Amino acid sequence: MSKKGFFTDTTLCIGCKACEVACKQWNQLPDDGFKFTGLSYDNSEHLGSSTWRHVAFVERPMALGMQVSGAGNFSWLMMSDVCKHCARAGCLESCPTGALVRTEYDSVYVQPDVCNGCGYCVSACPFGVIDRREDDGRAWKCTLCYDRLKADMTPACAKHCPTASIQFGDLVELRVRAQQRVEELHRRGTTEAYLYGADQPGTEGLNAFFLLVDKPEAYNLPPDPVVPTRKVRRSWVSLAGAAVAMAALAVAAVTGV
Amino acid sequence: MKWHLSPGRNRDGDGRNIDESLGVLAGEGAHQDVRETAGKGARPVPEPKERAESTADRDSYYGLPMLKEPVWKWPIPTYFYVGGLAGASAALGMAAGRFGGPELRPLCERTRIIAAGGAVASSALLIWDLGRPSRFLNMMRVFRPTSPMNVGTWLLGAFGGFSTIAALLRQKRTGLLGPIGDAAAFAAGVAGIPLAGYTGVLLSNTSVPLWQGARTTLPPLFMASAVTSAASALDLCTLPPAAQRAVRRYGIAGKIAEIAIARMLEREAGVVPRVIAPLHEGVSGSLWKAAKICVVASLAAGVLRQRRLAGWLGTVGSLALRFAMVKAGTASTLDPRASFEQQRARLGAAEVTGPAPELEQGTAVPAPERVLVPAGA
Repeated sequence: MSKKGFFTDTTLCIGCKACEVACKQWNQLPDDGFKFTGLSYDNSEHLGSSTWRHVAFVERPMALGMQVSGAGNFSWLMMSDVCKHCARAGCLESCPTGALVRTEYDSVYVQPDVCNGCGYCVSACPFGVIDRREDDGRAWKCTLCYDRLKADMTPACAKHCPTASIQFGDLVELRVRAQQRVEELHRRGTTEAYLYGADQPGTEGLNAFFLLVDKPEAYNLPPDPVVPTRKVRRSWVSLAGAAVAMAALAVAAVTGV
Repeated sequence: MKWHLSPGRNRDGDGRNIDESLGVLAGEGAHQDVRETAGKGARPVPEPKERAESTADRDSYYGLPMLKEPVWKWPIPTYFYVGGLAGASAALGMAAGRFGGPELRPLCERTRIIAAGGAVASSALLIWDLGRPSRFLNMMRVFRPTSPMNVGTWLLGAFGGFSTIAALLRQKRTGLLGPIGDAAAFAAGVAGIPLAGYTGVLLSNTSVPLWQGARTTLPPLFMASAVTSAASALDLCTLPPAAQRAVRRYGIAGKIAEIAIARMLEREAGVVPRVIAPLHEGVSGSLWKAAKICVVASLAAGVLRQRRLAGWLGTVGSLALRFAMVKAGTASTLDPRASFEQQRARLGAAEVTGPAPELEQGTAVPAPERVLVPAGA
């Protein structure tokens, strides 16, 4: 089975939220309440236990590339966010039960019949994607439509995207296509375009990567994410040192040396 | 708002819009239990501290948190205290049993009771905080060294077994059972030492900016605090003079280490001011300050041989320290700029991998002033 993933080209996103709706509907997720945030057109705010696709709306007082806007120096960026299915996933590496697994499509999947709701993955994810649903007690996130992939179908969000902003496919091929798209945009004057996550060193790549035109922070993405496990060796070493010190201290306290 | 509710028989109002007489619930999220309707079961995005009305500065997304708030409630910091207390007690008990004379036997017995009681209480607290407590044994269906929580579960399991045997056999000194009890107490001490500090590794192994930023000093801090906790609990027990002296030495050294390491932690995490901010302000800041004051006061009381006072102050201080650390970490996840600034200061992946190409290309280019070109020109 080849590695599958998403390439989300934010320059094509029109903010229709068909991906959010298709994801909810196909996966039969409950609603998150109907609230009005007043933050541009964004009323879902963030990915969560029952929101597996989320469209961000960024309003900027500056024009984009060679684009001409009736509003003058203004641009409206939209990005459909999703679980990144990191090549090295913080959630998976921290999961104490083995509920989080890597599938044959190289996606990261939570097994709902195994998860005991410890909540460690929630804090381990460098992107704030996975979350625990409090009345359910377990952690949930995007499955890359595992059931649809099994039936040789495209994930619901990519299938419903009317502008091909969300592209699903073979990762090797997607990366080539994404690189070509960046070059094309640069040729056409949108020199800000770059790929986020195609080769993210901290996670050894993201299986869902993005084409962005502003810095990651503007989209609520971390500029330099890292799987926590890669940095924690130092903690284990210092634990070992402190353990020796504590044993010595206990002996010294008892013998009075 | 009846119109968006499902007309299905058993799923009234779960927000799925599926009529079960017409549709089948088989989706990937179909078995997500909904007990609270209108989205109240899902955790809401917390109201940001610095909410922005627009994204004009592009430094954050309306100030909304980038990370998810930790889900842990009060049982977890309480466990950090109780587990540390049990582990450090067992360690002192091990040393007293192996290197101490018969005059320290009451100390051995007391530490065995504290260790076993702490192990039982720890397990209860941990299971209580699970989203699905009935599935707690799933923690032991794998061995996963990349997950400090999994390693800790095995450690606590082993510790619980040894310390319980040691506690049950605490009054047996001769025959077959005496040496078994002593061996179990020794094994509990060996397991108890890492048990007292792995919780620091557990917190470090997250994306929480404060905990990740303090990852060298957090495990030793928790171990020093565990020594304080154990000595303080033993200070509150009736013990013969020889045992009191051993506990006093243990406590004084633990408290000095705790104060010194807390200072080092402030320096380690303080490289990025926003990351350390929750240790200086708000509820977590007050708790952190209270913890430090209590430990210093407890140290003074210990030096002046005021056992009971030192015991109470040390206990309160250790508890406050764990709550301060958990609360401050939570606060640092709610501030998206804490992570952003930490990673921009090359303390993200760059620390282990060298700078990310995206970080260099995509962002180093400041968006230039653009000349508008009319369409078709």
